[in-house]
Amino acid sequence: MSTSVIAEIAIRFSALSLVAIGGINAILPEIHRVVVDVEGWMTSAEFAELFALAQLAPGPNAMIVALIGWKVAGVAGAVVATLAVCGPSSVACYVAWQWADRLQQSKLRVVIQRALAPVAIGLIMASGYTIARAADHTPGAVALTVLATAALAFTRLNPMWVLLAAAAAGMGGLA
Amino acid sequence: MVDERGWLDDREFAELIGLCQVLPGPNVVNLSVIIGARCQGLAGSAIALTAILFIPVGVMLLIAVFYASLAHDVLARNAIAGASAAAAGLILGTALRLLIQTKPPFRGMLAGGAAFVLVGVLQWPLLWVIPALICIAVAAEWHAARATKPADRK
Repeated sequence: MSTSVIAEIAIRFSALSLVAIGGINAILPEIHRVVVDVEGWMTSAEFAELFALAQLAPGPNAMIVALIGWKVAGVAGAVVATLAVCGPSSVACYVAWQWADRLQQSKLRVVIQRALAPVAIGLIMASGYTIARAADHTPGAVALTVLATAALAFTRLNPMWVLLAAAAAGMGGLA
Repeated sequence: MVDERGWLDDREFAELIGLCQVLPGPNVVNLSVIIGARCQGLAGSAIALTAILFIPVGVMLLIAVFYASLAHDVLARNAIAGASAAAAGLILGTALRLLIQTKPPFRGMLAGGAAFVLVGVLQWPLLWVIPALICIAVAAEWHAARATKPADRK
């Protein structure tokens, strides 16, 4: 049972690794879809909680994947999920680096970069929307999401302060 | 990396970040793969990758265990509910800031909007949507790049 779950984690996350254009934040809706809707490993609210926890911790934002692996299959799940989501893209990255000089000058690379940037932004927005739908069940929570959006888009506030302030507001019964 | 060790200069660092953003995968992880490769080749990449992942995963697991022990505490639950609402906002804010900074042309807005609706609202499988959307976006951009050359901009 548990070995098959770990194999499932490895396959799912390594496939996603190669479409993570714009980083982990681009594939959150898909991770949410697989983990909550397809596999039923956790509820939507639990997913949002794990995501908040990963944001509060130090390290690359890929850590959400480690947390999901841990929730589903313990420490082995965390390690396998992290390696799966980082492995294929790292190999691709290493190969691309070998051609970096040629890529720097290539016209096609400029075109691809211009084409991908807005797609990545759309995906990141989709991620925010997914998390908001999972996390916001009260008007107070919606207000916190809106405030945090504005804080990040229009100020230079450190995101950590935003998270901690929202946690304090939550403790005060606002979320 | 740049200031303390002099492994890279600022310009190289900026170029590498640009490269990492085009490639799939976590940006910080990709960056460490490349920096490792510059210094020590394949072994350097492997070591850098282990280093950037090992400690955060360890810390993350400690936090996870701590969190699990608090799972029934009302105050902790409320705090995490507030934090997760804000975390959604942090992502939306990041996207908004990128949008304001890059000001994509109309075809870009169309591609980004399609990505948002298909993946975020309709929840279509990403493994189908992304390759298709990338092909269309690259083709449109390629066409636009060729079209602007003879006709110039309006």
